[in-house]
Amino acid sequence: MGTPTARIRNFSIIAHIDHGKSTLADRLLEATGTVAPREMTEQVLDTMDLERERGITIKAQAVRMPYRAADGLDYELNLIDTPGHVDFAYEVSRALAACEGALLVVDASQGIEAQTLANVYKAMELNLEVVPVINKIDLPQAEPDRVAEEVESVIGIPRERCLLVSARTGEGVGAVLEAVVTQLPAPVGDDNLPLRALIFDCKYDAYRGVVVYVRVFEGRLGAGTQIRMMAGQGTFTVDEVGCFRPGMEEVPELAAGEVGYLIASIRNVRDSKVGDTITEAQRPATQALPGYRQASPMVWAGLFPVDSDDYPDLKEALDRLQLNDAALVFEAETSAALGFGFRCGFLGLLHMEIVQERLEREFDLELITTAPSVAYRVNLRDGQQMEIDNPDQLPDPSQVISIEEPRVKLEVVTPREYLGGIMELCQERRGEFRHLEYQVGDRALLTYDLPLGEIIHDFYDQLKSRSRGYASMDYELAGYRAEQLVKLDVLVAGNSVDALSTIVHRGQAQGQGKRLVRRMKEVIPRQLFEVALQAAVGGKVVARETIPALRKDVLAKCYGGDITRKRKLLEKQREGKQRMKRVGSVEIPQEAFMAVLTIDR
Amino acid sequence: MTAEDSLAPPRSLYIHLPFCRRRCAYCDFAIAVSGPDLQDRYLDALLAELRLVTRTSPAAEPLQTVHLGGGTPSLLGPERLERLIEAVAAGFSLAEGCEFTLEANPEEVTPAVTREWACLGITRASLGIQSLSDPTLRWLGRGHDAELGLSALGWLRESGIRQVSCDLIFAIPGQSTAAFLDGLDRVLRFQPDHLSCYELTLEPGTTTRRLVDSGRYPQVAEAVALEQLRSARARLLAAGLIRYEVSNYSRPGCESRHNLNYWRGGTYLALGAGSHGFLGGPAASALGLPAGQGVGVRYWHYRDAATYVRVLGQGSSGIRDSEQLDDSQLRLERLALGLRLTEGVEVAEAQLLAASQRLAAHGWLEVEGQRVRATPAGMEILDRLTLELIAA
Repeated sequence: MGTPTARIRNFSIIAHIDHGKSTLADRLLEATGTVAPREMTEQVLDTMDLERERGITIKAQAVRMPYRAADGLDYELNLIDTPGHVDFAYEVSRALAACEGALLVVDASQGIEAQTLANVYKAMELNLEVVPVINKIDLPQAEPDRVAEEVESVIGIPRERCLLVSARTGEGVGAVLEAVVTQLPAPVGDDNLPLRALIFDCKYDAYRGVVVYVRVFEGRLGAGTQIRMMAGQGTFTVDEVGCFRPGMEEVPELAAGEVGYLIASIRNVRDSKVGDTITEAQRPATQALPGYRQASPMVWAGLFPVDSDDYPDLKEALDRLQLNDAALVFEAETSAALGFGFRCGFLGLLHMEIVQERLEREFDLELITTAPSVAYRVNLRDGQQMEIDNPDQLPDPSQVISIEEPRVKLEVVTPREYLGGIMELCQERRGEFRHLEYQVGDRALLTYDLPLGEIIHDFYDQLKSRSRGYASMDYELAGYRAEQLVKLDVLVAGNSVDALSTIVHRGQAQGQGKRLVRRMKEVIPRQLFEVALQAAVGGKVVARETIPALRKDVLAKCYGGDITRKRKLLEKQREGKQRMKRVGSVEIPQEAFMAVLTIDR
Repeated sequence: MTAEDSLAPPRSLYIHLPFCRRRCAYCDFAIAVSGPDLQDRYLDALLAELRLVTRTSPAAEPLQTVHLGGGTPSLLGPERLERLIEAVAAGFSLAEGCEFTLEANPEEVTPAVTREWACLGITRASLGIQSLSDPTLRWLGRGHDAELGLSALGWLRESGIRQVSCDLIFAIPGQSTAAFLDGLDRVLRFQPDHLSCYELTLEPGTTTRRLVDSGRYPQVAEAVALEQLRSARARLLAAGLIRYEVSNYSRPGCESRHNLNYWRGGTYLALGAGSHGFLGGPAASALGLPAGQGVGVRYWHYRDAATYVRVLGQGSSGIRDSEQLDDSQLRLERLALGLRLTEGVEVAEAQLLAASQRLAAHGWLEVEGQRVRATPAGMEILDRLTLELIAA
């Protein structure tokens, strides 16, 4: 038999990036003896190279720690580590839903950030018990009293309940473990009811198929159990259940209240959707656990191989990535300028970058990514509504009554002194002010309603630069609204380049067109002929730049000792030239297709 | 010239003499600013390498050209120069009428020394005048003024050295086109046989580059550089000096044969720090360099003079590394180098000829049978045209 339910604690850690979540998790693993000190690597739970490099968590993790508490009893602590980026907000909510409590880790020298706050609210909505942990108290600039006061005023948890910790030195870590045992509730759930288990993540293993991360709420789960996905509808037989310590370790069963994994010859991560409820096929529960929704992409972009011969490789790579990433969707796309590629949907820009980087790194592909777009709803004269995720799909304006764009509710937490700059930024991005709330100390919570399309480009970078890195943000979708939107086309030497079209607000078309062609003039090298760059809306040119013809390009001295260098340069240039895309007689480098991302507003 | 011809045993020798009194503001060459002591040890090392080369690969062919380049070879002084020339003559056979070039700076030129050079067998002198404006010469970090430059040119003309060439630089930040052309005219009054007219290249790491990058001196506008180039070409032509390479002009028959060999893809031996050589497979093997069948081999020496001296002291050749060029690389080089010449280059591949025809339609190239040559307009964008051809 496993641990009695009364001695199980399931919890996650909520923290802003750099506030020390991974370090604290490492200390907990050490203190409970789950990982021997000599096996410790930095950020044990972040297993992907990308995660370690960027200091972020992309996939959720669950680790079981045995712990003998001060009361002399043995407890089973399940730490569920959650992704930390706004792109993965839904995944975070499901991981939180698998827990009874959460540690709120706040940097003693910083304070509570927007995303942390958003996640705390999520935890509270889910009735989680939150234990505040003020970390990095060893830093000279630490202000634990101020941060504790902020926790009290913003979140409403009495300041005395804040634990003071230095995950770096280990100070206070013991008190954290005790608080987990004494302050967090044990799970409640009946082993004898029909099975209900929440999927909070899954990963694909080349040998074992899909490994599903589950929290059992009611019933039991063991090898041989016939399970059914309540939303996904698939039926499978469980081969193995187990828990993470931190490696996978088989156990006889997972009972109500427990966290672990199951393997059931599931070949595709799409069959085990995050948030779905697993029940028994023979004795199904009548109602699924709440909160499931289909994860839907927010951002779309075209991915094209630089070398068109790599198209089959790109397809295979996407297929393989998709095995482990249910949020990634793609379909074949053809561009006149870029050839064969794929239109891909992502949860957000970070997700897009991650996929792009993994394709290039793990599959050795060289890619051109087109400017990301959101999905628009187009209302047609014939009464139909169509959804487009590619500006090139926009029907002729004569058939269109209106175009609706997705909007978000954006929350920003910032020191007050940067409010002006941030509000200005939101106004520039067609934002509508909703709410401003002053918090304790000098911080403010700002709420805006703005188009999703306006924040997917460089909004986050701008927010950071206008607040010297102090502001943080979170957003959630808040419906669609019809706007004066138009398609902005780019013509290179008179030829429209499909992959460069974007949908913009009519009022911004000219300004955006100017910036876009100016930026393209910077990235397209001079050619043998003069090249006209034009931005146009519905055939009307709104901006124009000219790349003058190359007039002088010749090495003055080329003697015996210069020849090797010259040849190597030519070979390199030839390679670069062959990677460029031709539109008419003009050669366009990869960067030009991303120009829209790198323009200064 | 076919590929096999150009990989024939070397008939040209380059010798690098890295010493300079000072580093010029625009120079990124392999040079050494140092005293006579290193010069002696360097010369010993150089002669040791020369003996090593002549012992391992006794020259099959008499040398048609020898080029003493630098650095400042004229710094060597007549005694050391004599030692060097004697060693060359002893180690190699020199062809009848061998072109024997010495690069010189005006500071070392006197009427007496030029006569000594002529007696030692120097047939061609290349004088680094660079500019005839004193402020510009100071800006370039040169150690002579305009007057000394012209005097040196005059003495060389009267020395008995058969051919005299000089170097001039244009597109210098802060110098007007008028001032440049005035300097050119003053040089032409001495009727040089040959003139190299270089656009100033702002090499990374040089003082001139920093001065321009920092904004303290204006970048020369493209249009101004082109105006200076075109005007210079016209005046040189009027003076009977015909452009035969991107930056080189000569009276007919007075082209630098040594340099022509580079541009025609020929082989050459090299001695001395930082020098580069190019050999066919057998000749490279004889030097102990890796060489497969049918390849060309480029090799180069340690750049730093003191390192070169040390390495030779240990009995090794001073060659730092080499690379083998396969047929397609050889063809690429031959095209890139050959197009620098007014005479152009023979092209055999149909694809290249077709691409050449396309560019010829715009007036940048001329195609005659298999010979492709750049027009004056094409010469101004030659590197891009070459790229167009090799990527076609």
